[in-house]
Amino acid sequence: MTELTPTLTASNLTKTIGHKTIVDSVSFELQQGEIFGFLGPNGAGKTTTIRMLVGLIRPTAGSVRICGYDIQQNFEDAMRCVGCIVENPDLYRFMTGRENLEHFARMLRVSNSEIERVADAVSLAHRLEQRVGTYSLGMRQRLGIAQALLGNPKLLILDEPANGLDPAGIREIRELLRRLAGEQQMSIFISSHLLAEIELTCDRVAIIHKGRILREGSVRDLISSRRDMELRVDDVPRASVIARERNLTFRTDGDRIWLAMEEADAPPLLSALAEAGVKIFHAQRRAQSLEEMFLEATGGETVD
Amino acid sequence: MLIPLIQNETLKIIRRKRFAVVIAILFVILALVTYSQYRRLREQQNRNWRAEIQQRVANFQNMMRRGRLNESYARGLRAEAGRLQFYLDHDIEPDKPTGPLFVRGFANASGWLLPLLVAMFGADIVSAENAEGTDKLLLTRPVRRWKILTAKLLTLFMFATLTLICGAVIAYAISSPFLPSGGWNAPTFVGFQLSGNSVSLDSVRQLPLWKDTMIAYGLQWYALLAVAAIALLLSVLFKSSAAAIGTMLASLIGGTILTRISPDWTAGKYLFVSALPLADYYTGQPPPYDGMSMLFCISLLGAWAIVATTISYAVFTRRDVFG
Ligand SMILES: Nc1ncnc2c1ncn2[C@@H]1O[C@H](COP(=O)(O)OP(=O)(O)OP(=O)(O)O)[C@@H](O)[C@H]1O
Ligand SMILES: [Mg+2]
Repeated sequence: MTELTPTLTASNLTKTIGHKTIVDSVSFELQQGEIFGFLGPNGAGKTTTIRMLVGLIRPTAGSVRICGYDIQQNFEDAMRCVGCIVENPDLYRFMTGRENLEHFARMLRVSNSEIERVADAVSLAHRLEQRVGTYSLGMRQRLGIAQALLGNPKLLILDEPANGLDPAGIREIRELLRRLAGEQQMSIFISSHLLAEIELTCDRVAIIHKGRILREGSVRDLISSRRDMELRVDDVPRASVIARERNLTFRTDGDRIWLAMEEADAPPLLSALAEAGVKIFHAQRRAQSLEEMFLEATGGETVD
Repeated sequence: MLIPLIQNETLKIIRRKRFAVVIAILFVILALVTYSQYRRLREQQNRNWRAEIQQRVANFQNMMRRGRLNESYARGLRAEAGRLQFYLDHDIEPDKPTGPLFVRGFANASGWLLPLLVAMFGADIVSAENAEGTDKLLLTRPVRRWKILTAKLLTLFMFATLTLICGAVIAYAISSPFLPSGGWNAPTFVGFQLSGNSVSLDSVRQLPLWKDTMIAYGLQWYALLAVAAIALLLSVLFKSSAAAIGTMLASLIGGTILTRISPDWTAGKYLFVSALPLADYYTGQPPPYDGMSMLFCISLLGAWAIVATTISYAVFTRRDVFG
């Protein structure tokens, strides 16, 4: 077995503009075939991090290695392994979809048969002859992804790929990405501010807020297991006492109470409440929202 | 290595319809000028060109005698009067409306037009990518930034050359049905020099028109390449195409006005616009400042082009690309 080099290594990436640190010592690794989510609210520094990953801006400190090549020292070798979309899928609007793909294929020196392959992959083959200026946002997003897939890169970096896609489109792209990671061992880096999207697509996730990674781990640990129990009861103070006795974290609002807990803890809690005479009108397990995760991670500091 | 990149840049200029607009402008302007030449030819079927030229020389001399002329304007009059007198003395009709002379004249007349046209597609070759956000893709492919800029510069040179050639070809094609199309071997004279108050004829040489035309176009071509290099710099520095084109136009027009209205501000001779009309200076029009020999003008334009290109590369290969 060959030694496994991570497809992407970011070490201590930092970007300071003026006195403002936009990205602060961000480090992570992507292994082959892994889909990595970069989750954060607007202005968290996701796009700035991506710009550093692909060499558009120079990090104030830190380094990026792609397939073992440092992007500062070996830009061409490193970038041969990458396809990306940064911020918006901006392509040449005055050219057709095909001309755009040919343009980038020429830079990569891949054959034109690649164009049919990538256009099919994002179901855009039927619109290739039209000018990109006439495309809808979703279609431009697809063309952007097609462009990123040219030359079969080992690493795909997509900034908010769900932007502009309808639910069916989101699902279609998600399946495409999972297939690429599974069958071709492509590593995929996705940024998003949508928790559900990351949860469904990614294996691992890092949560970024104000330029810092707050948490990093498997999607299971970080998102899926963190579900609240939402209850609507007649006597919130009484329910709070019981929750406190059981050492549960909770918060209340009107006739509702939210408790952070594992699934297995639900039945005993519900029995205890019933025994104490608390009437339960409604009980539901729901995912923590991104905001709630930030509240928890930052210890109450709000997301602005 | 650079061929596919140049192919890309060419495609983009054509698809943006920049070149089509340039050709259309050339066509319209040349058609108008041809028409006026044609009318002149018709009106003057059996004119006495000697009398006419003598009249013009006399007019110039009167104007100069009356004095109170701007110095650089007076120099221009003096040089032109000297040139016309030379043709009278040698019994050769200058400025005859013929196709070849029309093509030759375009090299001079285009002294300001062509730089503007080159600036039009030059100034947005980088800034448009920035404004439209496409630089994020262009610069994240496995191609170093200096190669991309080189491809853009070479493409610009190519289109500047093409614009000049198209200008000459359109001038000839459009004029040939209306003006006599022969006369490429007609004698022309170059090397008129203003020394003090008189025109020196010591270094005047005779050339066949075609050779003279080649030289004038060669000089104009050189000037256009310098303009292209400066346009590239503006395009790199400005984020919006409009700002880049605007600055280019302002410096071409503003610089010219400056050299005309304040000829005693001698530092003006180091402006690139002072040296730009190389073909005019070659024909005999005196440059706006003393000490601007042809060699000086050519070196000055070269220096501007080299400095502009160096700054372009330094900035473009290093800068951070934000949205
Ligand atoms: N060129 C710049 N100069 C100064 N500040 C900047 C610059 N570019 C970005 N920023 C700031 O850096 C922060 C991070 O921006 P970034 O675009 O990386 O956020 P993001 O996570 O991609 O957000 P979004 O979800 O809205 O895309 C923002 O507060 C932004 O204002
Ligand atoms: Mg962003």
